[in-house]
Amino acid sequence: MKTGIFICHCGHNIKHTVDIKRLKEYFKHYFNVEVAEDYPFVCSEPGQDMIKNNVETHRLDRVIIASCTPALHQELFKDLVKKAGMNPFLLRRVSIREHCSWIGDNIEKNTEKAIKLIKAGLYASVHYIPLEEKQVDVTKSALVIGGGVSGLSAALFLSQMGMQVYLVEKEAELGGHVRNLKNIWPARIDGKEIVERMASALLQRDNVEIFTSTTIRSFEGSFGNYQAALDTLEGEKKIIAGGVIVAIGFSPFNAQLKPEFAYGKDERILTTLDFEKGFDRLTLPEKPRIAILYCVGSRDEMIGKPYCSRVCCINALRVAEKVKERYKDSYVESFYMDVRAHPRGGEEYFEDTQEKGVLFTRGNIAEIIPESRGLLLRGEDTLLTMPFEREFDLAVLSIGMSPPLDNQYIASLLKIILDKDKFFLEAHPKIRPYDTALKGIFIAGTCSGPKDIEESINHGRASAIKLYGLLNLGYTFVEPFIALVDTKRCSGCRACEQTCVAKAIKFDESRRVAHVEEAACMGCGLCNSTCPSSAISLKGHLDSYIGDEIGAILEAI
Amino acid sequence: MTEEKKDKNPEIVGFACSFCSFKASEMAGSLRMKYPEGVKLIQVPCSSRVDPAFVIKAIFEGADGVFVAGCHPGDCHFIKGNYYTRRKIAALKEMFNAFSIKNKIRLFWVSASEARRFVEKVSNMYNEIKEAKT
Ligand code: SF4
Ligand code: SF4
Repeated sequence: MKTGIFICHCGHNIKHTVDIKRLKEYFKHYFNVEVAEDYPFVCSEPGQDMIKNNVETHRLDRVIIASCTPALHQELFKDLVKKAGMNPFLLRRVSIREHCSWIGDNIEKNTEKAIKLIKAGLYASVHYIPLEEKQVDVTKSALVIGGGVSGLSAALFLSQMGMQVYLVEKEAELGGHVRNLKNIWPARIDGKEIVERMASALLQRDNVEIFTSTTIRSFEGSFGNYQAALDTLEGEKKIIAGGVIVAIGFSPFNAQLKPEFAYGKDERILTTLDFEKGFDRLTLPEKPRIAILYCVGSRDEMIGKPYCSRVCCINALRVAEKVKERYKDSYVESFYMDVRAHPRGGEEYFEDTQEKGVLFTRGNIAEIIPESRGLLLRGEDTLLTMPFEREFDLAVLSIGMSPPLDNQYIASLLKIILDKDKFFLEAHPKIRPYDTALKGIFIAGTCSGPKDIEESINHGRASAIKLYGLLNLGYTFVEPFIALVDTKRCSGCRACEQTCVAKAIKFDESRRVAHVEEAACMGCGLCNSTCPSSAISLKGHLDSYIGDEIGAILEAI
Repeated sequence: MTEEKKDKNPEIVGFACSFCSFKASEMAGSLRMKYPEGVKLIQVPCSSRVDPAFVIKAIFEGADGVFVAGCHPGDCHFIKGNYYTRRKIAALKEMFNAFSIKNKIRLFWVSASEARRFVEKVSNMYNEIKEAKT
């Protein structure tokens, strides 16, 4: 075995708090070490050349790069050793920057820690075996779940890019909640117009199949080749999709969860959605008194909705505007915590509304009591810290967004995760905001948290672009870190089969041994640590690597 | 216990999953947060990859403490690997209890964004073990 150890200074980053000379001396004559070199920046071009030349001239079969954290520059270094003729899975990265030089100032202690970590890499890599990344074809088709604005925009983009699209909507009509909205701010058009424009564009395309009144019965497979069974009105339909976009939207907050507001008990108490549908038919006195309550079902820890729903402030302002338009002499009072009119132009809209004579009272409404003369609102003015009582003819509750009702079902079907508020969780809030933890499954729109229409459309399109990018390659590499059964050791206890969350382990009844379906294996290693017979190992993370790393870390230096 | 051993700073071996806890440790480094160098990590794909035998091996070979760190319940990249880990470590703790070395093993949840929590958890563990040693 011929190992090359390359130690990076990372400029001053590592050099100033780790004794690089000592590291180099320590490993120079170490067992199995052919070369030990240091360099100011190993990721720079000359640094890369230095490593490549060493691999070639010394015919190294193990390379250890002690530098920044393993996740950084991983592809770069893998390619580098590959070009030098080495299997990239024989490369080991050791983090002496994030895990040594940056966490303490004591050079001696840092250096000793670095020695131990490099040693762990050295000991583990002895056991490394060359692995191959398997290239598999992907199906260039997408399943879009949900036919609201984000699903529609995702489907439209994908189909325009030439991808086969299956759009599944559980309702009979496309368009989601937006379909019911009138005179949407700031575009001043009806939601129906927006969704119909999108839907008709979609209907004209021949690479799109739309399934309305349809639910998903089962879902299996892995990136590039997901299989779903749909329950359509015409019976079951099976489809194959390379990737998925989940855009199942939200559920309007159920105002009855705030019983103190008497919603559902008196028809003079409406939600913003009811108002949207029914205002034109409403008969009110000539000079009506109208109360608008903000944040109903949002920013409310007591009912488990601590988040801001983002759209209800604007919706409340729209209600006020509409009332003022029709009843010039109306008395409109808004009860708010903060007005978060967040999208562009929202603040100006808020000011306009104030100028129209709408009153804003910072206050909490404790209860709404329906009486024959009117609705009695009891609350506290939070600026004056004084209780008040006022009478109105109509109360409008600006309700927030709750997670979609199907969230749990879809999450467990697709094996994706919900956040603490029960919306879908992105893989990373900043770096991967559209992805789920599963490759090829993206989320879009309000099912990953409250958004307005523009944001939902953007989100749908962004997820579509990401999915398109993945599928358009036409192939994918399957990570070779999959479980492997040594059938000679397998006792047939089936413990692994029971634990495997991915259902990747099938039991071969005739031979009475376990067997791993490579395509389904996620590479977690749960089976490995479960098997009582030590018959399963996880490639790339064998027991022997980890065992020797433990030893290396605890060895005296 | 020899005098020499007493003076030594604790050696702590931590198993951290690639998706959450190891990420948190990387971020802690990037943010230049300080924690004792006696804490050394081994990266595993999922906390569920940690065979109880690894923990035992580490103790056998002289670790003063071992921890397993994974994603918060419900957040496991591999869906529910951490639930299995929780059960395994609970069983292991029982066993360690019988040998009166229960304090040597810990399990905690740290998500990728919780660099501060990572540093707090490992520092506390280190300090408590150090205290107990002297
Ligand atoms: S590594 Fe995980 S996903 Fe793969 S077979 Fe084992 S338990 Fe199942
Ligand atoms: S746990 Fe091990 S021995 Fe038991 S069935 Fe699975 S592979 Fe075979």
